Amino acid sequence: MTDTRAAARIDLDPLRRWVVILPALAAMGLAAVLQPGVAPVLAAGAVVTVMALVLLRRPSLALPISEQDEPDVSAAGAALAAEALEALPDPLLVIAGDDAEDVGDRAIVRANAAAAALLRLPSGGQDHPLHAAIRDPNLLEAIDEALFGRRTQSIDYEPGGAQDRHWSAWVAPLPGHGEAEGRLAVLRLRDETDSKRAEMMRVDFLANASHELRTPLASLSGFIETLRGHARDDPAAREKFLSIMAVQAERMTRLVADLLSLSRIELNEHIPPSGKVDLAGAVSDVVDATGPLAARRGIRLKVTREGEGSASVTGDRDQLIQVIQNLTDNAIKYSPDDTEVEIDLRVGVGADDAARVRTPNAAGLPLLTPDRDSQARYVLITVRDHGPGLARETMPRLTERFYRVEGQKSGERLGTGLGLAIVKHIVNRHRGGMTVESIVGEGAAFGVYLPLRVAAP
Amino acid sequence: MAMNEHTVRAYGEELNALTAEVTRMGGQAEAQINDAVASVVRRDVALARQVIERDAKLDAMHNEIDRKAIRMIALRQPMASDLRKSLAAMKLAMDLERTGDLAKNIAKRGLSLAETEPMAPLTRSIERMGRLVSQRLKQVLDAYTTGDVDQAVAVWSTDDEVDEHYNALFRELLTYMMGDARTITACTHLLFMAKNLERIGDHATNIAETIHYEMTGDELTGERPRATATPSPSEIGTPEQNG
Repeated sequence: MTDTRAAARIDLDPLRRWVVILPALAAMGLAAVLQPGVAPVLAAGAVVTVMALVLLRRPSLALPISEQDEPDVSAAGAALAAEALEALPDPLLVIAGDDAEDVGDRAIVRANAAAAALLRLPSGGQDHPLHAAIRDPNLLEAIDEALFGRRTQSIDYEPGGAQDRHWSAWVAPLPGHGEAEGRLAVLRLRDETDSKRAEMMRVDFLANASHELRTPLASLSGFIETLRGHARDDPAAREKFLSIMAVQAERMTRLVADLLSLSRIELNEHIPPSGKVDLAGAVSDVVDATGPLAARRGIRLKVTREGEGSASVTGDRDQLIQVIQNLTDNAIKYSPDDTEVEIDLRVGVGADDAARVRTPNAAGLPLLTPDRDSQARYVLITVRDHGPGLARETMPRLTERFYRVEGQKSGERLGTGLGLAIVKHIVNRHRGGMTVESIVGEGAAFGVYLPLRVAAP
Repeated sequence: MAMNEHTVRAYGEELNALTAEVTRMGGQAEAQINDAVASVVRRDVALARQVIERDAKLDAMHNEIDRKAIRMIALRQPMASDLRKSLAAMKLAMDLERTGDLAKNIAKRGLSLAETEPMAPLTRSIERMGRLVSQRLKQVLDAYTTGDVDQAVAVWSTDDEVDEHYNALFRELLTYMMGDARTITACTHLLFMAKNLERIGDHATNIAETIHYEMTGDELTGERPRATATPSPSEIGTPEQNG
């Protein structure tokens, strides 16, 4: 390219041209003086010569213009475009290739900052061999298709590695860069990790839900088979099996009920509730309903109250009862026999006070934090048990659906794994917050705080 | 003069093309492992069949690289680093081809496994181990493309992580088989899969050794450093011990 430009400059060298043209003009002038008859013809010839000179000069002038003056306008535009591409969050690459057979000749001729960071290209990333940056066979194939098949494609690209990211790759040939001076293709990557992850979570949820339902179903059908078979005439065995079946059926009912209420709560999660609920009343309702069951295992429910004034919040009474019920059920479930479950009600606490860890030396974690409102006062309900407690590393997953702490997936403490997920969704709907704190071996405490109802003026 | 220059350039290009082909083969092998493990985890029979079919491609690539490398050694008679480059290409292609065979075997077992009951917690362990192994292969291939000897050595010296995973999975599978004899068929398949993954990890280690040899001319010898222990005098100079 530079060679031809240099050659053009030499050919159109103005000095040389003047050496040719000036004698020609002089000769014409001389002839006109000597032979006046042909003067008009010669004058026309002179005009043509000068015109030719001017026309011939233009390209030689045009070159410096295109190199110096004109670029000020178009280069500014190009620089702006380059800057814009550079700033794009999506990795963008221009790839060159000449020979379809030679896999080693593909090169990255241009990469924006995002691409250079993703593929760890050396600064600028110019003329970097493609194979050193991308190995994924599908993506390489798509790039070849774009370069040599002139085809645009969109494919998934998962480069692997610790981050485990999913990209959507779009490859297209650059028009105007076909056969002649090197084929070019443009590659754009778009991060789809989040949507992929959400999709996986949904799939996991379905798989878990069906798995949870299948376990009791399998045992039910197993017992039915036994009852039809050799246990048919054994009243003792029949009695035993029927009671196990009742437990399993009850578990399924509970699971289906939990699933339904979870989906109902999710539907209404963004609609603020409107009723008026007295939380002190709700707590004593739950204690009245649960107390007798707990008493069978020698577990006492102890309610304390701190702070003056009414503990009324704006909310859906049934849902808030469910919150207290779920927390209390959990506490009872993990309590050893003959211990106490403490339910503390604190009225009028601030958000920071409500969210802080109350037990000294306990590991704590906010499970849900409401939008910050320093004016708001809350009612805090803390349900504390003296069971085995929770390890710090299990805390972030507590409100995950179907999550049950390892080792508690079987045995008599069988829950649906949905209780805390439901609590979290209800509390979120009520613009409240939720915390957990625990010392392993000494017990755990769950706190839920809800904004106090502002007294009507 | 012009003729000579052309020859040298073509030679350089040939070497470059050889590297590119090895890298491409590496990418293919990586994809085979990832897809094989994914086919097991997702019980994706179609994907497993694809993996099995695509293995022929890896074999063809292996042959092509061998052919090119031999041709280069015969015609160009490369010296020093160029010779090592050609030899390394052949060795790498061999390891990658074996890796592909192991991935194919995983996919085949995946087909049989898809006919049995799903065993979610176990396939999750396989997935974890698969991710670990493919990460090691990725790192070592990255080291190859970027010429980063240190990274290759880093992969070489952290092989016990894979072994630990393998041992944990082995115990887990034994527990399952003892608990429920009906799971023995599935568990055996999973056990072989884990073994295959562990061997893929070994190939990654071989590849790291080859890369080290290609770039430095020295062999990586000696006891691989263990997680905590510093090599004691008795361990130095006994490369076979680690077998």
